[in-house]
Amino acid sequence: MVVSCPELRDPGQDAEAARRHERVIATVTGFCPEAETVELGVCAFGARGPARYYGGEQTLAARVTAAVADLGVRSRAGVADGLFAALLAARGRDPVTVIPSAGTARFLAAQPVSVLADQDLVAQDLVALLHRLGLPTLGDFAALPVHEVASRFGHAGERAHRLARGLDSRPLAARPPPADLSVAQEFDPPEPRADPVVFAAKTLAERMHDGLAARGLTCVRVQVLATWADGRESSRRWRHDGLLSAAAVADRVRWQLDGWRPAPVDRGAGNDHCAEGGVALLRLAPDQLVRAAGQQLALWGETVPGDRVARAAMRVQAMLGHEAVLRPVLGGGRNVSDQVTPTPFGDRKEPRLAAGRPWPGRVRGAAPGLVFPAARAAEVTDGAGQVVTVSGRCELSAAPARLAVRGEPPRRVTGWAGPWPLHERWWDRAAVRRRARFQLATDDGRAWLAVVQDGRWLVEAGYW
Amino acid sequence: MRIPHPYPAACPPACRGAGIPPVLPVLSALRGLLPRGGLVRGSVVAVAEFGLLCLALMAAASADGAWCAIAGIPEAGVLAAAGLGLDTERTLLVPAPGPAWPQVVASLLDGCELVLLRPPAPAPIQVRRRLEATLRRGRGVLLVAGDWPGAQVRLRIVTQRWTGLGDGHGRLRACCAEVAANGRGEAAAARTCWLWLPAQDGGIALADPADLPAGLPAGPPAGLPGAAPALRVVSAG
Repeated sequence: MVVSCPELRDPGQDAEAARRHERVIATVTGFCPEAETVELGVCAFGARGPARYYGGEQTLAARVTAAVADLGVRSRAGVADGLFAALLAARGRDPVTVIPSAGTARFLAAQPVSVLADQDLVAQDLVALLHRLGLPTLGDFAALPVHEVASRFGHAGERAHRLARGLDSRPLAARPPPADLSVAQEFDPPEPRADPVVFAAKTLAERMHDGLAARGLTCVRVQVLATWADGRESSRRWRHDGLLSAAAVADRVRWQLDGWRPAPVDRGAGNDHCAEGGVALLRLAPDQLVRAAGQQLALWGETVPGDRVARAAMRVQAMLGHEAVLRPVLGGGRNVSDQVTPTPFGDRKEPRLAAGRPWPGRVRGAAPGLVFPAARAAEVTDGAGQVVTVSGRCELSAAPARLAVRGEPPRRVTGWAGPWPLHERWWDRAAVRRRARFQLATDDGRAWLAVVQDGRWLVEAGYW
Repeated sequence: MRIPHPYPAACPPACRGAGIPPVLPVLSALRGLLPRGGLVRGSVVAVAEFGLLCLALMAAASADGAWCAIAGIPEAGVLAAAGLGLDTERTLLVPAPGPAWPQVVASLLDGCELVLLRPPAPAPIQVRRRLEATLRRGRGVLLVAGDWPGAQVRLRIVTQRWTGLGDGHGRLRACCAEVAANGRGEAAAARTCWLWLPAQDGGIALADPADLPAGLPAGPPAGLPGAAPALRVVSAG
């Protein structure tokens, strides 16, 4: 159903018309909460449900127009299948025009083609062309085969043809669009200095927080998007969790701008800085909205980084990226590298492998002071200079005598223990790993955790 | 125990020191190596090479509540450090500080009281001066694994030996190490001490020369790899 208020549709209207339009929409949403504003003074909504409730389309339309009339606005209502037909019906002489479902095609067929142009849906010259071709009514136009229309008149003609056949170009967008909680500020002229942008960011953050608080929401992260005058964009998400104040958000904007400022070494003179332009647009968008339920910290067992530490960590993250600042989480695992899970600062801390399980086969005793992120290639040879091998039955070819870690001079082995076999994940063909571990002490006083895997020697960790 | 300052924000960081002890604590076995028995705030302590000794120096301060950061050392054994007392909850890792490492370290010093750094490149004098100024302002301690001319205290491991490994049997149990310290100012007097690094129980303990394992080389071994530039002859006096 379309409700049209002709007196509000005059384009020369002032703000008063817009206010009255708002009141009309409020009245109409009293009958049906999901109404679409087609243009100023015209709104549409799906009538099937409300009509059943109010006892028929005629009754509903009469009640809507009566309610709108109470506001001092004359209106007409049209009910038909589809938005286009309903709009045409609302232009009738009677306050209420109801086109029955079966009669919509006949109603449209009788309309002159000029209504297409009236609705600003197609161009005026197409309508004139149709007239010259001897197609005065929508019915004549709709009778043409669709592919002929498409090949002769193109996309606009096809669209008009669909309307003439009573097919709407889109369903009614009745659901109110989700509120846009992001806030933005344009800088005109673009702002080359960071300070005014950061200052604006503080105001923006306050507005964003107010908007979120009014809806009882909070965001997990906030996205800061800065667009420079030359079109470059910097977008970064910052952890928020509802804990950041407006000033703290402004700090993050400053770090982000600092990090994105082009390196001065690339530019020759100082005045080049102005040539590239400043920040043209700053947008703060809340990301991952959640209900604001407050925050309750654990009574103990949870260390919350202080403000100073968080600022330092995020500053470094702004320079190097989110993954560059890590907090170690101790967990379980059979290999020394598995037992520490580095987690990016600000993310949830959870070990990859649970601690507190027995983990049979892990190396016991003193933990190594150095755990190489990637195991280093090495070669272990016996007294005769042959590479020491381990058979499938864990038999050594000879006692290790020399350890040569790649990139370092060889060392004499003064003590060794092993092999300690480890057969991991034999049920998973992709992750299965068979290895034999050794502890080796060398003549420089150091000790190493070495493994043999697929016939190759690797050094996983160092004890010194 | 730290006494909170009544007006922390209105007060420049330097005068916040009123309620803060002037040294960060270290494990009791390491006290003898350091002037004033701890890590003096605002100073640089250099250890010739990264190893368990660096982690041991951080452990007590971290357990005492200080935030620590480890920069430029992707292979730092956090598990071993945690075994010595490092609180991993209060530890930040920046494995790859990249070419802008002086800014990264300065930022970390703003937030953390103790930063362990292995500089990815030799630090030019201006960079060192700037970081030292940051250090004095923030009253933190910079622990450098590597060379740092002008460090107040320099530590190095002269010799070490693991016990517990036989010829195809046993496992690593404890390591006996001789640590030498020298430096400038009040740390100028060179001192050495024997440590269990780590001891059999996983901690750090002073070693009694009577039960040192047999066969320890008397002086620094000739070909200690990778440590050549940092090795210095300790001047006795």
